[in-house]
Amino acid sequence: MSRRRTAGRAIRGTAAAIAFVLILVPIVIVVVAAFSPKDYFDFPPSGLSWRWFVEFFRLENMRGAFALSVELALAAATLATVLGTLGALFLVRRRGPLATLLQALFLAPLVFPTIVLGVALLLLYKTVGMPVFPGLLLAHCVIGMPYGFRTVLASAQALDPALEEAGQSLGAGPLATLLLLTLPLVWPGVLSGWLFAFIVSFGELNAALFLTGPGVTTLPIEIFSYLQFQGSQLVIAAASTLQIALIIGLVALIERLVGIGRIIRAR
Amino acid sequence: MSALGSSAGEIDVRLTTVRKSFGPVLAVHDVDIEIPRGSIFSLLGPSGCGKTTTLRLIAGFEQPDAGEVYIRGDRVTALPPYKRNFSMVFQSYALFPHLSVAENVAFGLRMRKTPRAERSRAVTEALDLVKLGALAERYPRQLSGGQQQRVALARALVIKPAVLLLDEPLGALDKMLREEMQIELRSLQQRLGITAVFVTHDQEEALTLSDRVAVMRNGVIEQVGPPREIYDRPCTEFVAGFLGASNFLDGTVAAREGATAIVETAAGPIRLGADAPVGARVRVAVRPERVRMRRDGAAGLPARIRDIVYRGPVTHFYLDSAAGALVCHQQAADAGAWSVGDEVRCAWDPASAVVLSDGRA
Amino acid sequence: MKTRWALVLAAPPLAIALAFFVVPVAYLFWVSLHQPSQSELYGAALTLGNYAGILGDSFYLEITRRTLGVAAAILALCLLVGYPVAYFVALLPARRRMLVTLLLLFPLMVSNVVRAYGWIALLARRGVINAGLEGLGVIAAPLELLYTTPAVVVGLMTILLPYMVISIANTLAALDRRYEEAAQALGAGPLRTFLHVTLPLSMPGVASGTLLVLLLTLSAYVTITLLGGPRSKLLVSMIYDGVTAFQWPHAAALSFILLALALVLTGVILGVLRPARVQGTGR
Repeated sequence: MSRRRTAGRAIRGTAAAIAFVLILVPIVIVVVAAFSPKDYFDFPPSGLSWRWFVEFFRLENMRGAFALSVELALAAATLATVLGTLGALFLVRRRGPLATLLQALFLAPLVFPTIVLGVALLLLYKTVGMPVFPGLLLAHCVIGMPYGFRTVLASAQALDPALEEAGQSLGAGPLATLLLLTLPLVWPGVLSGWLFAFIVSFGELNAALFLTGPGVTTLPIEIFSYLQFQGSQLVIAAASTLQIALIIGLVALIERLVGIGRIIRAR
Repeated sequence: MSALGSSAGEIDVRLTTVRKSFGPVLAVHDVDIEIPRGSIFSLLGPSGCGKTTTLRLIAGFEQPDAGEVYIRGDRVTALPPYKRNFSMVFQSYALFPHLSVAENVAFGLRMRKTPRAERSRAVTEALDLVKLGALAERYPRQLSGGQQQRVALARALVIKPAVLLLDEPLGALDKMLREEMQIELRSLQQRLGITAVFVTHDQEEALTLSDRVAVMRNGVIEQVGPPREIYDRPCTEFVAGFLGASNFLDGTVAAREGATAIVETAAGPIRLGADAPVGARVRVAVRPERVRMRRDGAAGLPARIRDIVYRGPVTHFYLDSAAGALVCHQQAADAGAWSVGDEVRCAWDPASAVVLSDGRA
Repeated sequence: MKTRWALVLAAPPLAIALAFFVVPVAYLFWVSLHQPSQSELYGAALTLGNYAGILGDSFYLEITRRTLGVAAAILALCLLVGYPVAYFVALLPARRRMLVTLLLLFPLMVSNVVRAYGWIALLARRGVINAGLEGLGVIAAPLELLYTTPAVVVGLMTILLPYMVISIANTLAALDRRYEEAAQALGAGPLRTFLHVTLPLSMPGVASGTLLVLLLTLSAYVTITLLGGPRSKLLVSMIYDGVTAFQWPHAAALSFILLALALVLTGVILGVLRPARVQGTGR
């Protein structure tokens, strides 16, 4: 192998090592800190303790924020996925300028700065008097919709168009075709879309920054407030670790049901 | 052109002056078809001729721009496919991947709300009909192409449709399997007495399977009739050429004797039964297997053998004559005597020759 | 019948997208054209003064300059580190590549605030880095690493790096090997093959990664605030300040200036990289 080749490999390998360290170390540190027995962050750790997790569940605002984040993510992901699925099934075989426009509209929240969306929605909500939780829910629904839309669209487009016609030739009307044929076959797309929408909602900051209110806070915003105003207390580390654990759990669950390859490809 | 046959019994499928365009392209151009009950009707032609579109118009997957579609006497033109009395075997089989073979076959019965006991009995019967009873619990991805095709067939037959549509059903199978399936399909259809319409670009398949063939080109039916008629008496040059090899001879009608016309070609006169008047310029078609070569000096068109190609059961002779190139196919047993360069005379039974017209006959 | 059914499918998502995406943003723009007000959300009179005020103010120009500098630095670092890593990932065998991709996706699923917190733990005066350096005797007093612009750059860069890597890796992995083989058969060595064949063909992935990182950099309020502190505010921080001060027209105008900036930069990037040239190759 030429020297240039090995040099190339060395560069790539080193870069990869550096990159993974840079990306993962901050997260690892947070998890390690969460188990610290002391009052401050101790590195290297002198022991393992659950005290900060206990503290997390003792604090009402923390508990509340965690519960709200879960509720919000469940509701928002479900709503977003239902809407995204409907949109995808509508567009799956349609062509033309209208279809292209609609597709762009449904995918737009992916590239649109969520901070501006948060500001815009807050202004609108204040103008019309929208209550906090529904407003936040709809914001996360808009932000999460593109994920379900994209994955279901990909799944649906991969289907043989003759399948639907075969169903029709056997007497299946539009509803029967949708429920018995289309949905079971795009199910992996629906599930992975839901998963992404859930994870995005759970960790979402920019819109929640503006749309949360007294008593209605999400976990990331609660963590942010703590960091801004009360310094880095280790209970934050416990909160963060819980969030990480929840995500790992969800991904593992979906992997069981749908398979890793499906999740990554469907993205 | 009207495809009215001498129908015994009812007409199961009728299309009247059906027209369909896709944008600027006229895919189906004022087509009329009548298909009697219990017959197999095939739409034959090259790709883009409109045969698949015509099939889909019967099914309802396309709506005609003009004309009407009738199934068993009912005007179904405005009905969506799931309300029409038909079933279809698709080119890709379109088996539902998430259902087992038995569930696939049962699907149409489920849609018709057939009670469970009767459903499972019908499914078993249908699977036995296509000799796949043992595979009822398998899934489509576990089956071979031929097996998938049979499941598709069973699924379409079990609901006892008024008409069975087949879109190039044997296209994906290899040659031996295809010939096997052709025979099975034909026997199944006759046993069940089902009216069937199928689309193919394979002329051999059309000739084997059908009771009547419609040859299509550019959205128009050029000729309709039983296979023998289409093959032996093609109306147009396209039909003659599409169904097999053909000799084409140009000439002018020099004289008439009753029903027989004597056509003067560049190589000499030929006799055939035709209506063309004296003086008319005609093109005559003769199948290569009908041409007989005789020793020089006998009656017939003079020609010289340019090439001899051995083809197993048949030998092809390529000849040159004053009227153009000629092809003669002889059974191997009769072919031994000739060599390249021989001067011969070509003749045929006058009944084997046909006058072609330019367009729709 | 078909149109009625189609409406059932299309109407709900369209309604939500219009009502809670298009309408609010349009409304925000509408408000940005109004006079500010002390008592209401915004005044009655229409004006371009909000925009003029921002664009003419040297303070905001400085903020914008700083924002652009940070964005440029982050993009440069992400490309410099990200491209080789993407190459590395793309060359892995399929199964391992899937696992590595999952390892890259995982940090993206963790909220930015948690990842920023990790950097705070690293960079703080009593954080891991300072404690380590002091323990080793390299420094006598803790370094001021946190609440600086470089902290924002490094932190945000590591947070956004996976987007770049995945974007480029996907394009590289889908590239037909035969393009490189053809170049080598024509006499190009590894470096020339890379520069003239691989790199240009990977432009679609580079472009989408760059755009994504750019957009996220511009709107990453929480990370910027946590790592930059009050002295390293960027354009997005100004929007937040405007909203908390109830200066709606002002905040609205700032938002659209941010959007305009994003659009202009997107145009520049697409113009420079020209990914459309190679769209539709490799697969």
